[in-house]
Amino acid sequence: MDNSSAHEPPNLRSENSVSYDSPYPIYAMAVSSSTHHRRRRHIAVGSFIEDLSNRVDIISFDEEAFSLKAIPTLSFEHPYPPTKLMFNPNSAAELLASSGDYLRLWEVRDSSIEPFSTLNNSKTSEFCAPLTSFDWSEVEPRRIGTSSIDTTCTIWDIEKGVVETQLIAHDKEVYDIAWGEAGIFASVSADGSVRIFDLRDKEHSTIIYESPQPDTPLLRLAWNKQDLRYMATILMDSNKVVILDIRSPTMPVAELERHQASVNAIAWAPQSSRHICSAGDDGQALIWELPTVAGPNGIDPMSMYLAGAEVNQLQWSAALRDWIAIAFSNKLQMLRV
Amino acid sequence: MARGADENLRKKLAFAVRSIQWSYSIFWSVSSTQPGVLEWGDGYYNGDIKTRKTVQAANELINADQLGLERSEQLRELYKSLSAAENETNNNNNNNNNNNNINNNNNNNNILPNPQATTNKRPSVALSPEDLTDTEWYFLVCMSFIFNIGQGLPGRTLAKNEIIWLCNAHLADSKVFSRSLLAKSASIQTIVCFPYLGGVVEIGVTEHVIEDRNLIQHIKSAFLDNPNPMMSNYVPNGNDKDIVCGILDENMIEPDFDPLVESDDAKTCCSPNNSTNGFEDADDDQQAEGINGEASQVQSWQFLDDEISNCVHNNYSMNSSDCISQTYANPEKRVPYSDLQEYNPKKLDHFNFRGDDVHYQGVLSMVLKSSHQLILGPYFRNNNQESSFVRWKKERSRFVARKPPGGMLQRVLKKVLFEVPRMYGDWEVESSKGYGSRETIWRPEADEINNNHVLAERKRREKLHERFMMLGSLVPCNGKGDKVSLLDDTIDYLKDLERRVEELESRKDALVLEARTRRRQQETTERTSDNYCSNKVGKRGKPLISKRKACSLEEFEPETDPCKLRETSRDDITVSVIDKNALIELRCPWNESIFLEIMEAVSNLNLDSHTVQSNNADGILTLTIRAKFNGSKVASPSMIRQAIQRVIRK
Repeated sequence: MDNSSAHEPPNLRSENSVSYDSPYPIYAMAVSSSTHHRRRRHIAVGSFIEDLSNRVDIISFDEEAFSLKAIPTLSFEHPYPPTKLMFNPNSAAELLASSGDYLRLWEVRDSSIEPFSTLNNSKTSEFCAPLTSFDWSEVEPRRIGTSSIDTTCTIWDIEKGVVETQLIAHDKEVYDIAWGEAGIFASVSADGSVRIFDLRDKEHSTIIYESPQPDTPLLRLAWNKQDLRYMATILMDSNKVVILDIRSPTMPVAELERHQASVNAIAWAPQSSRHICSAGDDGQALIWELPTVAGPNGIDPMSMYLAGAEVNQLQWSAALRDWIAIAFSNKLQMLRV
Repeated sequence: MARGADENLRKKLAFAVRSIQWSYSIFWSVSSTQPGVLEWGDGYYNGDIKTRKTVQAANELINADQLGLERSEQLRELYKSLSAAENETNNNNNNNNNNNNINNNNNNNNILPNPQATTNKRPSVALSPEDLTDTEWYFLVCMSFIFNIGQGLPGRTLAKNEIIWLCNAHLADSKVFSRSLLAKSASIQTIVCFPYLGGVVEIGVTEHVIEDRNLIQHIKSAFLDNPNPMMSNYVPNGNDKDIVCGILDENMIEPDFDPLVESDDAKTCCSPNNSTNGFEDADDDQQAEGINGEASQVQSWQFLDDEISNCVHNNYSMNSSDCISQTYANPEKRVPYSDLQEYNPKKLDHFNFRGDDVHYQGVLSMVLKSSHQLILGPYFRNNNQESSFVRWKKERSRFVARKPPGGMLQRVLKKVLFEVPRMYGDWEVESSKGYGSRETIWRPEADEINNNHVLAERKRREKLHERFMMLGSLVPCNGKGDKVSLLDDTIDYLKDLERRVEELESRKDALVLEARTRRRQQETTERTSDNYCSNKVGKRGKPLISKRKACSLEEFEPETDPCKLRETSRDDITVSVIDKNALIELRCPWNESIFLEIMEAVSNLNLDSHTVQSNNADGILTLTIRAKFNGSKVASPSMIRQAIQRVIRK
């Protein structure tokens, strides 16, 4: 796994990170917004096993003691690998949501995790269209938006446990969804477009970007919560992070191209409107600062971290703003910013 | 520091700016620690105020004078508190002096506060950034600026020792006036700088005021040079004025405060007829000259220097990474983080960022940052020993794997998005049902008309295709399988069905009778046929046959199978052809040669007979021939029948 270490300059790898080795490969990951005993935080990691039986483990992260410890009582079976995990934003009871064959909510108690609800948007059958991702609205925590391979997005009212609305968002599979302001969300799809939807005006959507080669799927989307004019997306098989300004559709305002291989995950800084972190197959996590003025040679990242393998997941949570969580192979790693 | 140098300075500034009802005054003084640099000395704020967070609000007798001084002090404190954290983080690099002069420490560092440090250690201040108006922001941010002598508006004023009067400051090129964007956000329109006591006094107002040297003269002589200025000294009706100001101050809490009132006031105040002290004796001619002089003055100084804009950058951003040089290399291509006015706190409120200290500092940092060009963010000190990240360098990237070991790009991500959803299995069946049943679903139209059209067209075609498929499965097809021949087949088939329905209905009764007489033969034929069909046709054939039987229609009719053709005749000749196999059944009067003749006719049609059953009873020959075409040519059932008929009828 760590085959590049022999060639590394000695100072390249910092010791200021905390690792957790899971028994399984990890993909989905989420940082809780609520704190527990002695300011510890829950981090949920979902196994990635290409089979029915998978697990979600809750890891306790202690910022001061630099430790990551699994909490055995807070571990549960999950059917199929969760495609995304997310804790509820700012609320008293700790709820964890997972997507996959259904959108499921789990209640995190002191010594156990109980299924809270399973949400199915199909009226006609017990099967739900498979979900690729979801986003929990920070502004309106009763709303969760899910994206599906059946080209639709579904907006849930989780307090009532009902579908608020479902819309055919794209021509092809929808791969990711992100909330902006209240009632406004965006999604990316295999059809290569980024579209913005406003729940107040359901008649129209706005295409704000289309991948240069037609139908190159867009895989992930991140909306800058500090400055909602900006969002970032990544393309299939591409080392680019594309930065978009919703005021100037179609033309990206910047393309960050310093990854040596494809990008797998992106996250905006929760505390700054102009910083973004990206991670990719080259094992790098890069922090970028978007400049006021772009140079002719493109934009260089500000700082880098080198993991031992392809980084598949990246979370930069507002709850833990000084830490970036990454996942590669079977490791969860907390990186100090 | 500067305040200590002249305790009366702020008061003087206050009186000066209040007497002419301008928004603010700043005294830029030469730095004691950095010779050749102008820095914030003191200032007095006299502009709009959003909220007054003082306990004294209850005390109505407080005079506006004191309120103004207090506000200015509060703004200064706020600025210090926001900057304090920055100092702390830079303790290693700076000899942190105790004279509270922030700018000294910022010479090679950006001003951005570090929220981490501030969250805990920020001293309590009367004001928080949310309480500020745009103009106050401007005033506050000015505190962060320093100017080399000869650069920037104050720097040039000092170097040339002359007054600079800048109208339309908010529209000025940033090269001329580096704070123009800031001024725009604060609606500051007119700025005047003049040398004073080895430093520079800057005054500004949100109105457009044309150049008037007498105004400056008035300020200088009446207030600044007066060792102990008192309100009552310089304006006879000063007390009335004061009250007016006080009232205005209260009104300014109202954001919609009409600036015209203020402007009227200012005019009256400056009007020669309205006052009695020395300055007001200035005659109209002088004023006219001042006005005429304005145009040339503005033009001349606009060319004074182009390097102003560099001033700020030099001071704040030269320590950052390689990107900076690139920044300068191509100033044309703008990336959007530059519109300063967008960053004002009101706009941010719009996005519901509220609540914590970090927000305030974020706002401040954005304002400060935007006036500088490119600086590293507050959270990522280059040499921060604690960070997991190291500074990015091009050379370092060569240690990075260019391809993942497996060679597959985005392996896990693709699996999660493309393959995991297919694992659930049962869903595919569901999806084929489409969305017809889900009435809640909506499809917003994309704004692009073209795209929308293409989309609709694609959907329509998909539907058409689906329907054709269904039709094709219902209709026996002779043709090539394309849509036109499918429609042709459908037409033929429908006509045929209609004909048959008619025929069947008209002959129904007769058939029942006739059937009885011919029962035996028919049954033989039918059984043969059934066997044959069920082998070849499989599933679909059976229900049709049984249905037909159930209806007790005993007339032998062609199968409705797409691949099968069959002809019947009145001569009791039944011919069916499936692929290259032919089944011929016939009854005819027997004679000696007829059997051979029939066989010859069959072989003339390139048919190789492999099974022949014959029966001769009561002078009637019953013959069943199974044969196979041995060439590529396949004769139609009717051709076969005609050929046999010719033999029989000879």
